[in-house]
Amino acid sequence: MEKREVLFRIRRFNPKRDEKPYYQEYRLTVPKGMTVLEALQQIKDTQDPTLAFRAFCRSAICGSCAVKVNGFPKLACKTQVFNELDKFGTDTLTLEPLDNMDVIRDLIVDWDRPFKRMEEMKPWLVPDPEVVPKTLDEESRVYPRELKKFDQFTDCILCTSCYSSCTATQLDDGYGGPFQLARVYRFAVDPRDALKAERSKIGYAFDMWNCVRCNKCADVCPKHVSPVDGIMKLRGLSIEVGLKDNPGARHVMAFYKSLLESGMLNEVLLPLRTKGVKGVLENLPVGIKMILKGKAHSPVMKPIAEHETLVKVMKVAMEVE
Amino acid sequence: MVQFDILIVGAGGAGLYAALETSRRKGLSVAVLSKVYPTRSHTGAAQGGVNAALGNVAPDSPEKHAYDTVKGSDFLADQDAVEMMCEMAPKIIREMEHMGLPFSRLEDGRIAQRPFGGASFPRTCYAADKTGHVMLQTLYEQCLKNGVKFLNEWFLLSVVHNGERVSGVVAMDLRSGRIHGIRAKAVILATGGHARVYWNRTSNALGNTGDGTAAVLRAGLPLKDMEFIQFHPTGLRRTGILVTEGARGEGGYLINSKGERFMKRYAPEKMELAPRDMVSRAIETEILEGRGFRDEEGNEFVYLDLRHLGRKKILERLPQIRELAIDFEGVDPIEEPIPVRPTAHYSMGGIDADKLGRTPVKGLYAAGECACISVHGANRLGGNSLLDIVVFGKLAGEDAVNFVSEVDFLPFAESEVKREEERVNSLFEADGKEKLADLRSELSDVMSYGAGIFREEKKMKEALEKVREIKERAKHVKVYDGERTFNTNLQQTLEFLNLVDIAETIVLPAIERKESRGAHYRTDYPKRDDENFLKHSIVERGDDGELRLSWKPVVITKYQPEERKY
Repeated sequence: MEKREVLFRIRRFNPKRDEKPYYQEYRLTVPKGMTVLEALQQIKDTQDPTLAFRAFCRSAICGSCAVKVNGFPKLACKTQVFNELDKFGTDTLTLEPLDNMDVIRDLIVDWDRPFKRMEEMKPWLVPDPEVVPKTLDEESRVYPRELKKFDQFTDCILCTSCYSSCTATQLDDGYGGPFQLARVYRFAVDPRDALKAERSKIGYAFDMWNCVRCNKCADVCPKHVSPVDGIMKLRGLSIEVGLKDNPGARHVMAFYKSLLESGMLNEVLLPLRTKGVKGVLENLPVGIKMILKGKAHSPVMKPIAEHETLVKVMKVAMEVE
Repeated sequence: MVQFDILIVGAGGAGLYAALETSRRKGLSVAVLSKVYPTRSHTGAAQGGVNAALGNVAPDSPEKHAYDTVKGSDFLADQDAVEMMCEMAPKIIREMEHMGLPFSRLEDGRIAQRPFGGASFPRTCYAADKTGHVMLQTLYEQCLKNGVKFLNEWFLLSVVHNGERVSGVVAMDLRSGRIHGIRAKAVILATGGHARVYWNRTSNALGNTGDGTAAVLRAGLPLKDMEFIQFHPTGLRRTGILVTEGARGEGGYLINSKGERFMKRYAPEKMELAPRDMVSRAIETEILEGRGFRDEEGNEFVYLDLRHLGRKKILERLPQIRELAIDFEGVDPIEEPIPVRPTAHYSMGGIDADKLGRTPVKGLYAAGECACISVHGANRLGGNSLLDIVVFGKLAGEDAVNFVSEVDFLPFAESEVKREEERVNSLFEADGKEKLADLRSELSDVMSYGAGIFREEKKMKEALEKVREIKERAKHVKVYDGERTFNTNLQQTLEFLNLVDIAETIVLPAIERKESRGAHYRTDYPKRDDENFLKHSIVERGDDGELRLSWKPVVITKYQPEERKY
């Protein structure tokens, strides 16, 4: 059977003892099929018992073992060493703790903050007495198409991979976080929930408009949850419940209006519609430069050729949603 | 000293349901202590579903559910407890549904149910193939809602009692490495199973090391029916990772190297949906008789074929299984059959507890897989474990609430903490002549050899001797990591020592049970012997450290033992 000599560079850090993190190298003969977690355990068993990492179910459902493998968050238990080597064309794997959280020791990070944050956002069902029966003699009815709206988001295993790679989390202390916001959405569209779309106000309070849609949360999710989809839909719900008078909602509405009017994005009117006169003033220097260079279009735009068809498509799309 | 009215150890389904139950009573101080963060517990790995006679797909009743369970148990289950569980099942499923659990649904919006092994009707409620996962998440959400206090990443070291009543536990905060006494009027152990004894081939999480069960044994209290270990028929070839019974429930075939659906020889009526003990033995027999497959690494296996179910059904009902097969075996079940072999899966035996989870020591409860009530007897039916944990978690929680309102705290001697500190400290000072990983692997091999799917006296006696030898040698295992912070070297060593303690309690009654019943199959006594062995085995450790074996009658209400045919 195929075997390879692999160099593991593992970031070590014990904040109680070390001034700063350092990398330690381990060489291991890896057979085909071995996972990163099995490699870690083998290093611990045969070379260095002090190496600290978390692991539990080893079948990609408990969310304990997420670490960075060559820079990307992965569940160590379901990541095969050979696959990563081939992907990067290397014989070296660098293993590091997840970002956006403090390191407790080596690959073990402090989860308290992201989970506390989730708790603050009330991710639990508040039963709607209209839907959830009062006695235990009956079930609530949930139709498969209703379940489909939130089912994907119940796959989250709280591994914090998305949180660790979230740019908004990195920059905004008040930001709810990707898996946390996706859970808010999960309950907002559960027909059994009493708060329903009102939950989007929680998303609003936790800066959901600060998501920059970089899509990293979706890329790194080992369960294919795509928190960003939930966040986008939660934003939509917030507009539905009337949270319209804010830059985020106005920005979205400006896009929508533009498309309805002409089928093109009206970039000249966008700052005005999103941020009002203040937005225009903020963007004025750039705007003037663009006009001088001939890059700015007129504020009045002619509809595109197939504009009517576009409007029809938009209407159908909204009905489907 | 920290104290709580009720301390729950373990945050899986049983622990969380107990916590929910206690949180409904205001004014009680309750905490859940767990060695992992909540939602990491092994309940989450249960895939296929949870049984309840809802009758949503076919007419059904709690009585039929009880009968199937008793028959599946090879008549060793206590029938009063089984009846209670099956009676409560529909209500508790609806209770969780009302909490938001995202069950898969029928077109009319009711909870969907699928067929499972050993059941007369489609009785297993499910959420695709992630039922345990969403159950755990839902219970955790409700615990957060009710403000339950969690002690995350704490490790249980010992249970403290005065012979009559429990006074608390000693546990280690893994993050600081400090050892604490925790005083409690009631302690509910919900620490899970111990199939990690079979370290090299098991579906269990790395931490299913029977910590609660071993602590109870060391505290001089009885364990019950420990010889019964369930081997799940379909573990992935290389890793033993679970492939849900739901795969067969949805219509999957088991195929040998002759291309036959070989189950026709063992259970002509139920075929692939015979109970797990029978299917596991069938697979092993096929392999022993040369009708299995063999890969280049020497792994032997049969195939679980799902291809005829079609892409749509696989993606909709078994999405996780597909992904596990791709990630761990490089096989896409839509295109190819999955290589499988039995894997150590479930502990039918455990802490001797009555149907409210009460142990012989007042205030000490056990619920879930660590407990032996017993509702599974000699063989558990698929879908009955997720039911067991919520039913008996709830009942233990309820009873503990009543108990603590009538009693005061007991004194808790500091010496109890000292003793555990000394036990832990001595591990750093061992001579290191033995290596943890080697010994753990040896224990696993010995147990598979002597107390695996097929058993016989000679092998079991060899195994017992070997386990005792490993127990001696384990004294030389040294903890090399000298740091206190998150010392996983220390944790893994403590877990291994728990497994060693437990291994002996499996082999001893297995030798004395001279019959075949459920998962305990003896080639030298291939028949069930109701006259002599329709009884529970009890193992206790005496003050001299020696194990003592005794027997206890089985509770029979209306289901008289009969031959088990499928």
